[in-house]
Formats: sequence, C-alpha cells, structure tokens
Amino acid sequence: MTSSVINTQPRLRQQTKVKWLKLLKPGLCLLPFAVFFYLFQLAPMLWVVVNSFLVEQSWSLDHYHEIFNSSFIQQGFRNSLWLATWSSVIGLAIAVLLVSSLRRINSKIRDGVIAFTNMSSNFAGVPLAFAFIIILGVNGALTLLLKQYGLIDSFNLYGQWGLLAMYVYFQIPLAVLLLYPAFDALKDDWQDAAALLGASSWQYWRRIALPVLSPALLGTLIILIANAIGAYASVYALTSGNYNVVTVRIASLVSGDLFLEPNLAAAISMVLMLILAFITLINQWLIARSYHAKS
Amino acid sequence: MPKANVNSNHSAIWHKTVVYGIVSVMLLPILATLVYSLSSSWGATILPDGFTLDWYGQLLSDPRFLAAFGRSLLICSASLALSAILVIPAIFVVFYYFPKLDKLMNLLILLPFAVPPVVSSVGLLQLYADSAWPIVGTPWILIGTYFTIALPFMYRAIANSFSAIHLNDLMDAAHLLGASTFQAFWLIVLPNLKKGLLASLFLSFSFLLGEFVFANLLVGTRYETLQIYLYNMRQTSGHFTSALVMTYFLFVFLLTWLASRFSAKPAAISE
Amino acid sequence: MSYVNVTQLTKRFGDNTVFNDIHFTVEQGEFVTLLGPSGCGKSTLLRSLAGLNPVDGGEIWVNGENITHHSPQQRGIGMVFQSYALFPNMTTAENIAFGLKMKGMGQQEIQTQVQQVIELVALKGKEKHYPHQLSGGQRQRVALARALVVKPRILLLDEPLSALDAKIRKHLRQQIRDIQTELNLTTIFVTHDQEEAMILSDRIFLMNQGKIVQQGSPEQIYTQPANEFVAQFMGNTNLVSASAAKQLFNLDTPHKVAIRPESIYVKEAGRHYEPHISSPQLGVIKQHQLLGNVIRYQVEVHDCELSVDLLNRSSERLLANGSQLELLFNLNEIQPVSA
Repeated sequence: MTSSVINTQPRLRQQTKVKWLKLLKPGLCLLPFAVFFYLFQLAPMLWVVVNSFLVEQSWSLDHYHEIFNSSFIQQGFRNSLWLATWSSVIGLAIAVLLVSSLRRINSKIRDGVIAFTNMSSNFAGVPLAFAFIIILGVNGALTLLLKQYGLIDSFNLYGQWGLLAMYVYFQIPLAVLLLYPAFDALKDDWQDAAALLGASSWQYWRRIALPVLSPALLGTLIILIANAIGAYASVYALTSGNYNVVTVRIASLVSGDLFLEPNLAAAISMVLMLILAFITLINQWLIARSYHAKS
Repeated sequence: MPKANVNSNHSAIWHKTVVYGIVSVMLLPILATLVYSLSSSWGATILPDGFTLDWYGQLLSDPRFLAAFGRSLLICSASLALSAILVIPAIFVVFYYFPKLDKLMNLLILLPFAVPPVVSSVGLLQLYADSAWPIVGTPWILIGTYFTIALPFMYRAIANSFSAIHLNDLMDAAHLLGASTFQAFWLIVLPNLKKGLLASLFLSFSFLLGEFVFANLLVGTRYETLQIYLYNMRQTSGHFTSALVMTYFLFVFLLTWLASRFSAKPAAISE
Repeated sequence: MSYVNVTQLTKRFGDNTVFNDIHFTVEQGEFVTLLGPSGCGKSTLLRSLAGLNPVDGGEIWVNGENITHHSPQQRGIGMVFQSYALFPNMTTAENIAFGLKMKGMGQQEIQTQVQQVIELVALKGKEKHYPHQLSGGQRQRVALARALVVKPRILLLDEPLSALDAKIRKHLRQQIRDIQTELNLTTIFVTHDQEEAMILSDRIFLMNQGKIVQQGSPEQIYTQPANEFVAQFMGNTNLVSASAAKQLFNLDTPHKVAIRPESIYVKEAGRHYEPHISSPQLGVIKQHQLLGNVIRYQVEVHDCELSVDLLNRSSERLLANGSQLELLFNLNEIQPVSA
C-alpha cells in the first residue's frame, strides 16, 4: 500500500503538467479575441484613465481643477444629467404602461408591437433628428397643427424641451425591450388572488406588482440613464453641436478644428464615468434592499 | 397567457387604448418622414401639396449615395465577419474548457455598453492617430471598433445557443464515437449555433449601419459611410434627406425582419 | 482473466475523493449495474471507464489490453447518456451514422448497418426525424442505436431511463435487456433505482460514498445485506438494535439485526409452524397503509416499532389501529448487519 502511494506522487505531478499543457492549445484560441478586445476596448479606456492625470507628461490634477472651475463644462454636465434623468423616468413610465397593457392584449397584436419596437429602436441618431425636424421644427407639421389650435405660440426643437422629446422617443423602445421579459415574473394568478382578497387594481400594482418588478425597473432605469448620458449622434445632428451636453464637449475637445485638448477630454470622460459608476452603485444598493435580497 | 379578468370589458378597452396610443405616437416621426419623402413640397402647411417619387429617383441616381451605402455595407460585413471569427472560437473555449471564465466574459462584454463611444473615441484617436499603426481616418479602425459594439449582442446570442445544448454531453458522445474535438466542433457545435448566430448577425448589422459616433469622430469624411453622408446632406432638401432616411430604414426593417425569422423557435412536433 | 478488470481505480477533484480503490471484474456478455444514491460516485466512475474523466490512480483492462490512458476515441466503448446527447442538427439516421462516418466507412456500408440497427431498436419510419420531433422514449432508442452500431466492446448506460415516465421506462428496460442478451454485449448500467437494478442485472455493485460496499447477484444483495446501508438501500427493512434482537429473536449479536417486513407473520390460530419460525410476540398496531396488494402495518413490540407486510386478501381481514396481534419472525431471514 505504502509503495503504491509513493509511486503515484510523481505520476500525479506529471498528470497535472499534462493537463496544463492540454489547456494551452484551447487557451491560444482565446488569444485573437483578447488582442482585439484589448486594442479597441481596453487600451483606449486605459489611455483615458492615465492621460486624464497627465499634464505635459507629468502627473497632475490640473484637468480636474479646470473642470471644477469651468462653468461651461459644468453646464454641459448639468444639461446631460437633466436630459438623462427626465428622459429615463418618462421613458420608463411610458414603457411600463405599454408593457403592462401589452400583456393583456391579443397575442398577434402583441407580437406586432414588439417587432415594431425592435425596429424603432434602430430609428435613432441622425435619422431620428431629421425626422424630428420634419414634424417639430419651425415649419414642422405638428408645430403648425398645435399653433393653429392655439396650444403653443412656438416650439423650440433645438432647446431642452425639444431634446427631451427626442430623448424620450429613443428611450421608449429600449425600455420596452428590456422590460418585456421581466414582466414574465408576474403571474396572472396573483392579480386574481389579490382581487379575491379584496385588493383593487391599483392596490395590486402598488403592493405586489411594483415590488416584484422593482429590481428590473431599477436595472432598466440605470441602462436608460447611461444610454442618455452617452448619447451623441442625435443631439449633434439636431443642434449641429450647439447645445451644450457633456458628450458634445468631449467630442469638440478631440475632433474640433481648433483648441484640441485630448487630456482635458479624458478628464471630463473620467468624471462622466464616475457619475455613471456612482449611479450604478446607488442602484445596486436599492436592488439589494428590495425583497429579492431578503428572501 | 392573459386570462379574461373580472372587469374584462372595461379593462380591455383601456389596454387597447394605451397600446394603440403609444404606438401611434411612436409611429408619428416615421410616418411623417415617409410622407415628406413622397411629397413634392411641404412648406408652411400642415399637409403636403402633392406627391412624387422624384426624391427617391434623385437619391438612387446619386453616385455619392451609392458609394457611401456600399462603404457602409462593406465595413459592416467586414466587422461582423471579424466578430464571428473572434467570438465563436472564444465562446466555445470558454464554455468547454474554462466555464468559470464565463462570469468574467459577461463583465467584459458590458464595457462596450458602459463606456460611451465618445469616451472610447478620445482614447482611440490618440492611440492610433500618429502611432506606428496610423489607422485613424481609415476604415480599419471602424472595423475594429465595430467588433466591440457587436460583441455584447453576438456573445449573448451565441452563449444562449450554447446553454441551450448539453455541450459537454454532446462533445463526450462525439468523442466516444471517434470524433476529434475539432471534428465535433465543426460537425456538431457549429451547425447548432447557426440560428442564434444568424439572428445576432442581422441584428448587429442593422445597428452598425446606424452607427454615427465612431464614424464621425474617427474617420469622418475621409471614408464617407451612409450615416456620415446623411449628416453631410443636412443642408440639402429635406425631402431628399427624408427619402434617404426612409431608404435606410427600409433596409433596417429588412434586417430586423430577417433576424426575427432566425430567432423564432422551431415548432416541436412530438408524436 | 475476466473481460473487464478494474483495479485500485481512484479519482479526486481537488481534495474531494470521488471514488477510491475501486476493484471489480465483468465477464463477457454480463449485465452489471452500478447502483447507489446520487453523489456516490457511480456516474463519475462510469465516465472514467469511458475515458471522459481521467483517473488519478489504478488501471482499467479490457480483453487483456490496458486502456487506462487511452483517449475516448480509442477505447471502443459505447455510451448512452442520461440527457440522450443526440446531436440536434442531425436526423435519426445521421445521428446513428455519425460513429461509422468517423471510422471512415463507405456510404453504402453505413446505410445497411444503420438500417439494421434501426430495425433492432424498432425505429423504422423515424429515420428522417430530428431529435426534437421524437418522444423521450424514441430519443433514448436513437441514443442506444447510435451507441450499438459501432459494435462497442462495452456498452455503458448512464441512468438512461430516469427522464422517462413509468410506463415507457418499464417497456424500454426490457427492450434494452433483450437487445443486450441477443448481442451478448458486455454492459455496465448506472442507476439509483434499486428495483431497476434487481430486475435487469446479472450482478449489482452497490456503491456508497465512493466505494463499492457490496457486490453480488440481486438475490444475495437483497437477502444478505453486508451492512446497514445496504439493508436500508435495498427496499424496506426493519433494523432492530442488538438488545431488541435479544428480546425478539433470542439472538445474541453485537450488531443490529435486519428483518424484511415480508418475513414477519401474524400468528393464525391452530396452524402448525416450523422450527425456524420464532415464538409469538405480542404487538399493538399503531398505523397501517394500504399499498395495493399489500398492507403495511406499523406494529409496536417491546418498545420497538416494526413494519409488517401482509397480503391484502380481503377487506374484512383488515386489522384496525390499536388492535393486538401476535407476531412470528422467520429466523432464517434475519440478518445481523455491521454499521
């Protein structure tokens, strides 16, 4: 017995070595993927992180100081956050309304609506901005219609309300697509059970459906906010870069015709990422407090 | 599935109103663009003056449009081919040899979502503008970055196909029947990914076609893609750009329709 | 030397020993079963025999050849998986032909062989069906055909029936046994179902916690359990402590004693009993369950609760809870068992 134990020891080591070699070849299959991912995703991120702290090749917080001293950059952040928050909340509310009703409707119509939503999620960026100019621009059909009925005096599509309308428009399809599967968690029996126990439709939503859905709602909200803060194409195309949001600020510092300041752009990017990280953390904390974590 | 509810008549009307109402509002910009692209002129009036197909004729005979469209198709196809070649073997290796890496991969593929394209562009411009590998301003940098945008969708779709099959059992069975790992991958794993892969390819194609940020910041007019062309045409007639938008949207419609056809589950016919 | 020889086989995952020092032999054409509760290591052992999990020690010999370090492709072992593992992109015929294709066999020859085995497992007419178009039982037969067509030296079956419903399971297990006998195929079957094991097997290897705790024919294992685990795993049994055994059976033993519920009788007045039947003991019925053709009484005797199975002859003879009766024990069937 003892001899066999002694014999197996070197054998075992040999086997682990063989096992390691066996995994080398499949590991190599991961390499091209890793290289490309590094070159086009990780390396640019790292560049941003490092260079946000560099002024003329030496470490410094000057760029961050500049951000805190520039009311122009801060206005960009304020505008971005305002648009992101309101467009996300409104978009989410509309999506909840749509999805909850969708589940109670003829399945053919439902599939049609989902297919349409899928498609309209691609109606964003430059084409969307053009479409908005057509209906809500100075001579847009809807603007004229509303003017004729005396509902508005004029509508400035190129200001915050016009942008908000457009942001809400591109948030809705995304929110619907993210929420639709989450509503599977709601069992139809619950509403019947609640009704038999004397709860009204509103009470069912308030006490049962919303708490069950809260993690999904919070998760969707965070994606919407990130989506809106990062939006660039639509606002750039609508206002030709004249409305001050943070992505336009960053882009103008790296691709404008004059005053290129990539390192300041990196610092603004870092603050933007930190804000997103902070929102995500609050979100995680809220999800952890929801009933899922307590079970 | 929805059951008839207690006060069903009343609520059915409510649900229909909600769905049709929201969908109509969502349809409005698209329909307006369509009407605009078909109308001869639509000035300061609520309804257009007359209808014409001239704008489409103009568009389709514009060589600059055709060239831009061709460039977009080329870049999107190349990016997706690259993504497929990089992602499929990687996922197979992760699922079969290093299943613990799946968690890490799921985190990594969130990065293209979490980092706005504008932020990535800052780094990409500096890294590849004047370096030994000056690809800024060329289609090559777009192919690389488009791989990262398509990655989350392709990874999720293909990973879902992998979880839908008993990968380890299938590989074991193939090995016992005499197949090498490569044969098993080629003859069994790959054919089973086909549907998920095609669906994700068409889906990725449709939103890569609409990508503007990277195209504008990294390449711009030096290699004019469809979206850049669209943006550069903003000063011309709105009818013309509408026809352009609708042509683009028709194409996206086709791609999403193809994607949904492939992602539809096969009906199980049990006997 | 036997057809299959397994010696000192050991497998660990990290610090966790899955099975240790496994020895057994299987004769050619024999149907043996690895039986045990889930997590006892039986499936891992089976996979190790197939070469799908490398072992950490010991040897596997088949027909005088050491195959311990052969790859799965070289072993000539067929296996049917619990999940069927049918290739979803291939039809029934393509699935079955796969192994022959890998061998480089000609198209014509493949077709005849596939046709033969399809007839053997009664799947005619389903050649062009995809796995998702087949019922569970049909899928399992495709999996069986796919493993059989390459003429494996050994057939391994990993809980092949567990995903099927009871009726199909009974039918299919008989079919598997018939085909196995017809082909005289050396077969190792893994299951956690003791009934399935007893019906099918020539011999059973009962496993627990990574060890084979007893091997033998179904009868041996049922009637002569080597220890408490075996006695309890193989059907219902009464385990009585050594002190109770002294009172009930007048038996001196340091061990617990096992007696099956069907080896306890109720004394009938005026009937003559043979000497291996014990003297009567007075008991009280606590509960009873109707199991169909059998009634199971829980009877308290000397502070010891025993299960007693009686044939359900007529409803009039049903004994009510609380009634007294005299129990007799078949002393030939009592079995001292170590812990």
